[in-house]
This record gives sequence, structure tokens and C-alpha cells, in this order.
Amino acid sequence: MSLDGACRCGAIRVTTRGAPIATRACWCTDCQMIATGGPTNNIFFRSEDVTIDGPIRWHDVMADSGVPLARGFCPECGTPIASQSHARRHLITLRIGIFPDREALGPASVIWTTSAPGWACIDPALLQVERQPAPLA
Amino acid sequence: MERTGSCACGAVTIKTTQDPMSTFACWCTDCQKLTTGGAAHDAFFRSEDVSWSGTIKWHEVMPASGTPLARGFCPECGTPLLARSTADRPFYVVRIGIFDDTSDLAPQQTIWTSSAPHWAHIDPNVPSRER
Repeated sequence: MSLDGACRCGAIRVTTRGAPIATRACWCTDCQMIATGGPTNNIFFRSEDVTIDGPIRWHDVMADSGVPLARGFCPECGTPIASQSHARRHLITLRIGIFPDREALGPASVIWTTSAPGWACIDPALLQVERQPAPLA
Repeated sequence: MERTGSCACGAVTIKTTQDPMSTFACWCTDCQKLTTGGAAHDAFFRSEDVSWSGTIKWHEVMPASGTPLARGFCPECGTPLLARSTADRPFYVVRIGIFDDTSDLAPQQTIWTSSAPHWAHIDPNVPSRER
């Protein structure tokens, strides 16, 4: 399986190889900020399976989980591209919005439901975790 | 009601002085790209009710609606902040994620459901429009 994605203006291009490790949505307060108030929608890969071309800009934050994260976005159009934990650099999180076809990339679980607003509409069919789950790999 | 918000790094702060005219969630393909693959969560304010400090970077797009938009984000941390029509309409769209408390900013309608992926879980209790 290979996926090709890009930001809105095309300055950043992303290619993946191999199978993703997981897909999940995150309602932590940090994610709500970068996703305009909803959850982020993410797909996880091994870092060696992802190539990012273009002048991605990284911004460090301390996530609600207590782990420092770098979040990558396009400096030209602002599209959120990726995220990576400084503690787990063997994995990379990609924002599924960069891929043209997202039908097969829906979240299998939803995390940080404890910080979702009361009006959040969370699919009851998905596995829900109140806070940070155990590491994926 | 006055509200304040900011981007993740604090370089941009935004103040709104009145309640929004409306709130909505938008599943247009442009919004999905901007919001990591979900819906944009937006509040419409009259232009005169919105002010900010700090530097906003604007990027112009032609969304599915056919109305050209400039979308503003923090150039330091990438947080999506605002959108405005470039057709000189007197309002700003503020991304509600910038506000500390979004509990009273629930979307009053969901739009562009026709372009949402099949797995989108759209609140059946909120009015929706296909486009």
C-alpha cells in the first residue's frame, strides 16, 4: 500500500510505503486547536515508511499526554501535515486531510474523549479512550 | 459576550466583542484538508466585532462554494485562525479551536455533507445541508 498526499498549495508532498500502524481521532485540547475545534484525524506509520518533500515547518508543543511533540505544517498555506513525538521518533503521524481519498482512512479509535466539548458527536461504534492510550509500537 | 482566543504558540491573540451570528461545521473538501481530515468548526462574526494582535499569514483559495476566501493562520505554529471572503463581505469566520472554551459554540448546522467521507459521524440532531 502506498499513499500520496499534499498540502493545499502543493509546496509539501508526502509519500508513504508499507502498511499503516493505526488510524485514530484525537480530541486533546492541542488537537482541537489545530483542527479548528474538532478532533485531529490521524494515520500512523513507521518513520522509515514516510517521505516528506518540501519546506515543512515544525513547531514543538507539550502535548496533554506530557510528551513533547513536533507538529509539521506547510508555511505557505498552513495545511497541517504531520506530528511526531520526540520520545517516539520511530513513528510518524500523518494528518489524513493531506490524502485525496480518505474513504479508507477513517479512525478506528477515538482518544482524549475526556476533553471533547459536550456537543462533540463521537461514533459509538469506535473504540473510545478517555485519555492517552498505551504506545502503538 | 466578549471572547478571547489565541494560537498554540501565543503569537496571535484574537478578541471578539459580540456573540457570533452563526456557527457551523463544514465538510467541504477544502475544509477537510485544512482540519486534518474532518469538518471545519466555524463561527461567523461581523468584521467590526473581531480584532487581533500579532502577525497572521493569509492564503487565498477558491473553495467548492465558488466564493474566493483568504484563510489566515499563525506562521509560527500553523494554528488555523480565521477566514474572510475576498469578495468584500463584512464578516470573519473564526475557527472556534482558538477559543479557550468552546462549550457554547456547538455547530448550529452542518454543511457540505455531500463531500464527507462515509465514516463521518454527523450529528443527526443538527440541521444539515448537502452543499
